[in-house]
Amino acid sequence: MVSRVESDQPDNWERQIKKGWLELAILASLWGEKLYGLEVLRRLEKGTDLVVAEGTVYPILSRLKAEGLVETKWVEGEAGHPRKYYWLTSSGRSRAAAMARYASGFLGSMSQIIAPLLAKEGK
Amino acid sequence: MIPAEASQRRIDSYLAELRRCLGELPPEEVHDILQEIRGHILERAEASGELTEERLVAILKALGRPEDIAPLYQVDSVVAKARVSLSPRLVMRGIHRWSVVSGWGLVLFVLGVAGYATGFALMLAALAKIITPDQVGAWVGGGHFSIGTNSNLGARDILGWWLVPIGLAVGALVVFGTTLLLRWTLRFARIRRPTGTSVAA
Repeated sequence: MVSRVESDQPDNWERQIKKGWLELAILASLWGEKLYGLEVLRRLEKGTDLVVAEGTVYPILSRLKAEGLVETKWVEGEAGHPRKYYWLTSSGRSRAAAMARYASGFLGSMSQIIAPLLAKEGK
Repeated sequence: MIPAEASQRRIDSYLAELRRCLGELPPEEVHDILQEIRGHILERAEASGELTEERLVAILKALGRPEDIAPLYQVDSVVAKARVSLSPRLVMRGIHRWSVVSGWGLVLFVLGVAGYATGFALMLAALAKIITPDQVGAWVGGGHFSIGTNSNLGARDILGWWLVPIGLAVGALVVFGTTLLLRWTLRFARIRRPTGTSVAA
């Protein structure tokens, strides 16, 4: 039932971590604005290296929609092709806020735990 | 910028492959997905200035292979729908999808089959009682209890006509309870891609 690291390859391990954080990062990118899929991707590219394959972001957005966390609308624009815009619903906002609180506490305790490793490496 | 004919062919064949892989999704959902991915490819292509063959290949490569992306939609949408549905059919579809990738899903699938079978059997017995009142009942005799038809001559029907309302009500409750339970467990479904790498679900 639970996802696990398939092997001890560092590459795979990094991938697992990234996947875990991707949903929160996507919700966070939509926090203040309506964005279409590629804009969400660009936000993520700018701030992080979370996205492993770009095509994985769209199914996540589609699931967030199915779960009622985001709402969507197709907009015909100057682009020449319609764009699907996403924005947070009120339950999406509360989910994102709860995830952010948890993540922040988790990151804090994790940095404490790994601090000695980093200090050692620095010497 | 309109991609040259060769590029257009390459984009079309990527989308055709994606459509093939999306197979079992509802047509309107497939249409939405293809439109969104097409938009992604076109916009990436426009942003790259002059679109070369290499550039397009790089865009499609960054997007990922259709056979890797499509299962993410299928698994996600089937399970996501089941999570909010009260229909035994949709919920069992979600559980079935989960059972393909996880032992927990398999256990719940068996549990679901048992729950629904019990619930529907009770309701069926209630209806059968109306049609053939003499042969169907809730029988007690020889240390056995059974609901349905009876071959044990010494058995006694303890419910009589009460089997109709009780069978219908209890059967419906069992079906409804099974649905709620399975739906609730689906929130713990962590679905993986068939390739073996896991996906946040």
